[in-house]
Amino acid sequence: MTSFMVRRLLWMAITLLVVYTVSFFLMRSVPGGPFDRERVLEPEIMKNIEKRYNLDKPLYQQYLIELGKVVRGDLGYSYKINDYTVNEVIAEGLPISVALGSLALIFATTLGLVAGVTSAVLRGTWGDVLLMLIATLGIALPNFVIAGICIILFVFLLPLFPAAGWGDFNQLVLPAFCLGAPYAAYIARIARTSMLDILSQDHIRTARAKGVGPLRLILVHALRGALLPVVSFLGPAVAGILTGSLVVEQIFAIPGLGSHFVQAALQKDYTLAMGLVLLYTLLLYVMNWLVDLSYALLDPRVELE
Amino acid sequence: MSSTSRTLVACFLLGSLLLIVVWSTLEGGLPPADFTFINESEVKSVDPALISGQPEGRIATSIFEGVVRNDPETLEPIPGVAKSWEISEDRLVYTFFLRDNARWSDGLLVTAYDFAYSWRRFLDPRTAAEYAYQAWYIKNAHDYSLGGSGIQPGDPVEIELNLPPTAINTLRGEVLHGKLIRIIPRRDEERDFLVEIDGKEITYRPTDDSEAARNDPPEGVAWCRQVLLDFREVGIKVIDELTMQITLENPTPYFLGLLGFYPLYPVNQKCLETYGAPQWTKADNIVTNGAYKIVFRRIRDRIRMIKSEYYWNRENVRLELVDALAVESLTTALNLYLTDKADWIGDVPPPAMRELIREEPPRNDLNPVPYLSSYFYFVNTQIKPLDDVRIRRALSMALDREEITSKLLPAGEPPSLSLVSPGIENYRTQTADAENPELARQLFAEAGYPEGHGFPRLEILTNTHEAHQAIAELIRKQWQRVLGITVKTRNEEWGAYNASLRLGKYDLARRGWIADYSDPNTFLDMFTTNSEQNSTGWSNAKYDELLELAQIEPDPDKRFRLLEQAERILLDELPMIPIYTYVSKNMVKPYVRGFYNNVRDDHPVWAMWIDRSQESPNPFLRGRQ
Repeated sequence: MTSFMVRRLLWMAITLLVVYTVSFFLMRSVPGGPFDRERVLEPEIMKNIEKRYNLDKPLYQQYLIELGKVVRGDLGYSYKINDYTVNEVIAEGLPISVALGSLALIFATTLGLVAGVTSAVLRGTWGDVLLMLIATLGIALPNFVIAGICIILFVFLLPLFPAAGWGDFNQLVLPAFCLGAPYAAYIARIARTSMLDILSQDHIRTARAKGVGPLRLILVHALRGALLPVVSFLGPAVAGILTGSLVVEQIFAIPGLGSHFVQAALQKDYTLAMGLVLLYTLLLYVMNWLVDLSYALLDPRVELE
Repeated sequence: MSSTSRTLVACFLLGSLLLIVVWSTLEGGLPPADFTFINESEVKSVDPALISGQPEGRIATSIFEGVVRNDPETLEPIPGVAKSWEISEDRLVYTFFLRDNARWSDGLLVTAYDFAYSWRRFLDPRTAAEYAYQAWYIKNAHDYSLGGSGIQPGDPVEIELNLPPTAINTLRGEVLHGKLIRIIPRRDEERDFLVEIDGKEITYRPTDDSEAARNDPPEGVAWCRQVLLDFREVGIKVIDELTMQITLENPTPYFLGLLGFYPLYPVNQKCLETYGAPQWTKADNIVTNGAYKIVFRRIRDRIRMIKSEYYWNRENVRLELVDALAVESLTTALNLYLTDKADWIGDVPPPAMRELIREEPPRNDLNPVPYLSSYFYFVNTQIKPLDDVRIRRALSMALDREEITSKLLPAGEPPSLSLVSPGIENYRTQTADAENPELARQLFAEAGYPEGHGFPRLEILTNTHEAHQAIAELIRKQWQRVLGITVKTRNEEWGAYNASLRLGKYDLARRGWIADYSDPNTFLDMFTTNSEQNSTGWSNAKYDELLELAQIEPDPDKRFRLLEQAERILLDELPMIPIYTYVSKNMVKPYVRGFYNNVRDDHPVWAMWIDRSQESPNPFLRGRQ
């Protein structure tokens, strides 16, 4: 167990370094910089600005300076929103993205499980076909299309929710739904498959023979076994929801990490983009790690090596 | 672990997730503001010296106030912190008399010293202000902001000494005054400065604070932060607490207007030097002198502002609480506006504009009007055959601008044949030759390409943007149709596009220009030989001379005649092909008053108020067809 942890930590450090290095040089190799304007700056002013941000130094020196700061936990000042450090931007944006992601995850699991289990039980009926059709649509439609449809339906036709913004629970419902919808669809399909698998097994037949009621049979005996594949999907799902909120946050004007990331990339805000790339890498890595751990917790046959 | 407890753990996990959501949203609930507008992107800063965009300008103009303000309707300079001013006969010396009741948000008086402090900081190369050239009209200001490159032997200089690296970063080091004897070049662009101070000669070597703290300077050299022209040489003079005198390099008729523009707003020295940059810009720390002060800022969400109780003109500020939302997506902004969550949006996505503008009866919250701006194509005059003026004129004459604007630009953008767009009083609009396919073909034949035979393939470069690409496509078709030439289009992402322009790697390139101030000079000086903006390779001695003459001409009328002549040359030679003039695309709720269409699409929040009765006429809709 300990050696597993240590090894994972080491790999994480290496992964972060590689990701940092690759994205640093990729980003700087794109033509143009954070200070490109419609109006070309006077050369003297440009020189002053580049000096201030160390952009006048050779690339490898910039890399070493920046890396040194990052190792010390200082992600530097944002190039495009000068009044904030990258750490401050993350501190403000992360809780928002986590809140949005949590609600999306709740939507995804509840909707997905209910739909999956129902369609497994109703196997072969039109209800099953309909549910799986919706699930396929949910996977196939990108979330900005779902968002567009939701806005037309629930903002303009039936004014139930506000169009965008951040501040109260109402504003969170539509974006969380749009963000969670594809995952709900995945979960529904996974739950259905594993449920069908379990329902045909011997212990279920035994339970049924012993006279266990259909509700108890499904919810207690079958569902527990069917949950494992769903749980193992939750790790990537959490990571996906947290790092995949870029478009949804833009559409609903939510000031989370996704909005920051998109803007940082578009505006060539080197420091902010680098900081968020690192954070996303870290999130993905930690999530996968947790999934591995939870496997061991949920299934005694799995051993951590 | 038993299955029951496992289920419990799972439930607990889910429950805590829900709790997180609720907790984080509860603290977000806000009382609604009196007025909410969409401010497009998150502002770069609220420090007026560091900013350059429109969203930043809207915030800065709300929380700071300059020597003058610009009238929200006419944009004429009106008294701001200064209650009055005098301009000398030769239009070079401005004396400002500040009002004795202009206060900072900490209650202290705004004085002439505040302006001197702010403008010196603005010009300081270490501040790295993008808009620094807005103050270069002041005598010697340009040289001062060039730092070590702006001084010559014999000049009076100031030497700023280093501070410990831990010092607050807005503090200035000790300043010594002396006379520059010699500049001693070292490797690269580094230089030593031999300076005489009180009869003693010392060699100063600029370095950063950490270097100066770590190492002793080499033999015979002293460390310093920087050597600059002596600030006392710059035409900014404090006469007393409430009087100051500004001396200009040249008579600049639009100078007064520039003082109402945010780069020259004052900042509070005490606030800056207590907290350092950028901590001083935090809502809890910042001290401002405008109609509003910041309540809080949430990154890429909103800036909330409240009327300042110390502002001298507070009786006439009628909106109490104002929200500026940072909403990047135009469609989202429009959704917010249509669902009454915003009272003013500054732009509308083109497909929606097409529908909105056609509505019957006409909407009472939309009135696009042209402003001082120009959309045109750069012509690379350094490559064949575009170096031939006949070709450039033919290309311009072959354009059907009416078709472009009516087909592709839904907000009623007017076609344009000039660089300087109409709207500057007393300036006579100059125009290039109008559409004339016959003559265009004839010119092509004269230049050796009858019916386009043998003409090389041209390429139109645009930055990646749907609207620009659509226009380029249509122009490609028009040229093909009229001149029989092959044209292709290429689009590049913003950074790459800029680099291509700078390096001259294009044939024709889309360019837009929006006036910084209401004067033809803002357009015309981009085509002088030495202008950074001029990537066309076009150079005309007469044109440069006319612009220089205009710069020193004190008589405004004569000056405009010189500028008209210059534009005439430009439009005959056509290193740029004018296409259309931009229009403002504001949507403003009908109950908002104090919002006027003007030639710079500039709308200060301090002038606005809300009249729910809607009894007074809405000046915003004036002149609507």
